[in-house]
Amino acid sequence: MAKLTRTPVWEAVASLKVTITLLTLLMVLVVLCTLAQVDLGTFGAVAVYMRSFLVYWHIPNSVWSIPVLPGGALVGLLLVINLVAQYARIPLAWNKAGLWLVHLGLILFVTGEFISGAFQVDSQMAIEEGQTVNYIEGKELELALVDVSDPAQDEVFGVPDARLARGGTVEIPGTPVSLKVHRFVRNASLSNRGPADPPSLATMGVGAGVAVRELPPVSNDNEVNSSAAFVEPIAGGRSYGVWLVSSALGAPQSFTHEGRSWLLGMRNRRHYLPYSLTLKKFSHDKYAGTDIPKNFSSLVRLYNPSKGEDRDVLVFMNQPLRYDGKAFYQASFGKGDTLSILQVVENPGWLLPYISCVVVSIGLLWHFGMTLRRSLKRREAEQRAPAEGPAAQEA
Amino acid sequence: MERTGRIGDAVPGSPWNVAAIATAFAALVLLPGCRQDEVTHARVPKQAEAPTAAAGASVGTPGLPSGMPPPGVPGAPGAGVEAPPVPRGAGALRWTLPEGWTETGASAMRFATLKLPVAGKVDVSVVVLPGPAGGELANVNRWRGQIGLPPIDEAALAAARRTLRSKAGPVSVFDFTSDGQVKSRMIAGLISTSGNTWFVKMVGDAGPVGTAQPEFTRLLESLRLGQAD
Repeated sequence: MAKLTRTPVWEAVASLKVTITLLTLLMVLVVLCTLAQVDLGTFGAVAVYMRSFLVYWHIPNSVWSIPVLPGGALVGLLLVINLVAQYARIPLAWNKAGLWLVHLGLILFVTGEFISGAFQVDSQMAIEEGQTVNYIEGKELELALVDVSDPAQDEVFGVPDARLARGGTVEIPGTPVSLKVHRFVRNASLSNRGPADPPSLATMGVGAGVAVRELPPVSNDNEVNSSAAFVEPIAGGRSYGVWLVSSALGAPQSFTHEGRSWLLGMRNRRHYLPYSLTLKKFSHDKYAGTDIPKNFSSLVRLYNPSKGEDRDVLVFMNQPLRYDGKAFYQASFGKGDTLSILQVVENPGWLLPYISCVVVSIGLLWHFGMTLRRSLKRREAEQRAPAEGPAAQEA
Repeated sequence: MERTGRIGDAVPGSPWNVAAIATAFAALVLLPGCRQDEVTHARVPKQAEAPTAAAGASVGTPGLPSGMPPPGVPGAPGAGVEAPPVPRGAGALRWTLPEGWTETGASAMRFATLKLPVAGKVDVSVVVLPGPAGGELANVNRWRGQIGLPPIDEAALAAARRTLRSKAGPVSVFDFTSDGQVKSRMIAGLISTSGNTWFVKMVGDAGPVGTAQPEFTRLLESLRLGQAD
């Protein structure tokens, strides 16, 4: 094994030059990613430069894209391999414990980013003053099929847009209903159908009078796609016609099957929570005599009947509500300061960057402490040596 | 004195561990792709009309009419084939009619239709939908589409929005005029109250809409919640 760590391949993998090259590449990626945010938005740029294995360049006027740079994921992966390989070069000694910790901290840091990239879920919760909300909404869309027949509760089924895009027939589990997807348009503009427009695929509902024009999907994450789909609910062998659903339409359309009423509508993908937040008050403080914002805060009531929890929480800038593995940040507001929008981040690895910073700090302190101690000892020895010289001569 | 022992044989340096870590990372990156297109299901308690009844009983949204899904199910005025239940009593929007104006009451998707003593083509409607009704931008762009104008983005939306004060809360007002020889104009007030979104809209030929604009603005300023006068 000791031989293996001295092979040219191992030496290359563990090389400090590789470390420096990878860190330089990371810096280049950070600069490019920052600049790309102008066109792609924050999340779009991060996805292209940092959370990808390769950064592609699209050749103008062609369908080809070629990789031009390693992406952040590849650089991070190589960096972890490089750091792990370097362990073989650090002696197992107390005075090198600092270096061990620093390497461990860096590995944790990069690992944390991988976990965030893979598992972090960003959602939003928009609450108006006085309103109670028990769901968070993602950026993606879903076709919501809601059985509203029960007077006490609704059965809500969500068909993700990714499933609609695949087409075919979507079985709704536990129900007699299936949805046949006739057409899915990622981004569409809707308008009233004119005499020159082709006939609509929709045979029921408002869609029969609406023209759907396909648009290129948005590339900037500040914009949203306005998806549209033509779906045909089929239940008990009977078709309920073809309906147009779109996030640009609004009102849910409905059909009734054997006495049960179903609503159909396209909306942001919704994830229901076992607890609710009520916005009691949203505050938008400004510096006196100006329109410059000083502080945004939301006073919310957190109500979780399963845990018997009922308390007020103040969410303000950089002070999120952390609950149920989620962090609710104050993100935006609207409707004349009566609507608060909370950014909801669910990241199982959120503690890793903090832990890695602590580990790296302890490692650096340890290492510098050891170096300082050694240096002081050396200086002491040097001072003692000249002092002993003349004394010896005197003697 | 430094120890010269190396850790080449120790566990962290093992090439097999490096391979294992690489595999784990690959799995981390690829796994999330598997959970993207499953049909989800949730059983959501319906909301009682009175917030007090909902407070201890459910975790949902109080104040919604019975039989409706929670707020946020997108809604656009006139888009559905089945009119949502209409808020009544304290949850209903009221207004003071300008002189000479009359009200014809609810029909199909409309909460009310108003008639005004102005010659020419002009129509004033009041529509209510549960929840955010698809959002302000989507509705504004739909309105713009109705008079042949291209859609706008959030920035232009903010620039186009004028806010009026009323007893029912702030009213966002949008005023758009189409191009062409016969210009159409639309002035729409949008207000959110207790889980509902109300649309008070005046649309017609630019001339009569312009004539009625001051009175329409007064009508928007008179909006309030509560029993009928």
